[in-house]
Amino acid sequence: MQAEVRTQMLRMWRVGLLSGLALAAAPAHAFIAYVSNEKSNTVTVIDTESWTVTKTIKVGQRPRGIDFTRDGKFVMVAVGDDDTIQVIDAKTQAVVDSLPSGPDPELFAQDAAGKILYVANENDNTVTVIDLEKRARLGDIQVGVEPEGMTISPDGKTLINTSETTNMAHFIDTASRQIVANVLVDARPRFAEFKHDASEVWVSSEIGGTVSVIDPKKHEVIGKVTFEIPGLRKEAIQPVGIGMTKDDKTAFVALGPANRIAVVDVASRKVTKYLLVGQRVWHMAFTPDEKYLLTTNGVSNDVSVIDVAAQKVIKTIQVGELPWGITIAP
Amino acid sequence: MKVLAMAVVALALSGTAARAADPRYPDWPCTQAKVPEISLAAVWAGPTLDDVQNTWKDDAKVSALVAKLSARKTPLDEAEKSVKEFLAASATDKTAKAKLLFAGLFDTLNAQRSQVMAGLERVSRKQREAADKIREETIALHALQGATPRDEAKVEALGNELIWKTRIFEDRHKVVRFVCEVPTTIDQRLFALGRVIQQEME
Repeated sequence: MQAEVRTQMLRMWRVGLLSGLALAAAPAHAFIAYVSNEKSNTVTVIDTESWTVTKTIKVGQRPRGIDFTRDGKFVMVAVGDDDTIQVIDAKTQAVVDSLPSGPDPELFAQDAAGKILYVANENDNTVTVIDLEKRARLGDIQVGVEPEGMTISPDGKTLINTSETTNMAHFIDTASRQIVANVLVDARPRFAEFKHDASEVWVSSEIGGTVSVIDPKKHEVIGKVTFEIPGLRKEAIQPVGIGMTKDDKTAFVALGPANRIAVVDVASRKVTKYLLVGQRVWHMAFTPDEKYLLTTNGVSNDVSVIDVAAQKVIKTIQVGELPWGITIAP
Repeated sequence: MKVLAMAVVALALSGTAARAADPRYPDWPCTQAKVPEISLAAVWAGPTLDDVQNTWKDDAKVSALVAKLSARKTPLDEAEKSVKEFLAASATDKTAKAKLLFAGLFDTLNAQRSQVMAGLERVSRKQREAADKIREETIALHALQGATPRDEAKVEALGNELIWKTRIFEDRHKVVRFVCEVPTTIDQRLFALGRVIQQEME
């Protein structure tokens, strides 16, 4: 309990300090981005002020899912072929520990407090639940075949897990760890993202080529975002990663081998613009001030920087081979 | 014994080579999916190139630059620098020149890619024939080895021949795996150069 109060205070203090700084010095905040490179077995560290690579960290085999701990002290990276999640100390930028996942962890999600981690293990159809403070395994949840995308509702009560093979989004009650609903979406659902007000959850379907908008209370698909790019075959449009601005007005959807990010008006669910980024774009992360959105481009081996307000690509940064996931220090 | 073991290896290899991932392309030997052509929209979000067509070939400077930039021996960062210099020097008709240059790169690199892919499929067919031959000769060798009286000279000659053929088969198999990366390398080059051209146009 005491620990919780302390982290809470720390967070408030940090938020206060950050906003104070923002007032004092409006121009460019330097943030640190970490990118997992699936093929080169490394994590690239990028400084968002100079937009340069400051370090390349050797990690385990096949790094994919990557995320900062909520306190910003550590970076967790799922190294699927080593059947574990490695922990990188953000200060020393070295691997310092590992977490007990199931076999072939692909990605994971943590609750709002940063205490519980849910890990999707691609090979044995389970989600492993890990206590982040103790770094210990709490149990497993049986889910659909080949669990893929994962996200937690803003209140922490519902975990959404998408299954590649059953084409469903499974709604899991985090308290009972039981599936409470299954929602059928289009083929090969890859990623799920809640609106910040929790009124909708968006699920991308890589083969289906759509994003399904689900009412998380009724567990029903209430709308769909579709994509069309003149000159491109439908099969080349493969939605994966989704990012939404904090005001829930604009969504960004990565379209894989279409090499583009779609800018979507959340209210009307219509695409307003397509931005050519890099080859086979999959995942993305906003800088905390939401000025920039960084995307990972697997085939061109780079990261694109999008100016969020201008909706323009302003920079490309070469990283390792097959960049997969990205996380930015809170 | 060694000969037999090698022949078995060869057959196992041919088995994997023959199992095409995509039924539309039975001769495609790579684990990478075969994408017959790069579509323009996947690499270009700039102004339409409909009015350019083949005219890039008539511009001596552009066609020389296209040849240089398309060569895999030109390092990519050097190629990107050349694009920037060329467009900076053509300030007045930058957009027109940029369109010409990209149209040339698109045609040339797409053709280069098609050639590599056709070559891969040709080698794949040859490998299948070679595997059949090795299989036949292995059976023949078995028969020779089991015959009484046994003709040692013939057994040795056929045995050596099999070792040789298996070695060629394996070497080719390794080369194919390496060459399978080339179409992607060409994709990457076209995309990277296209991106620089589009940035310079803005």
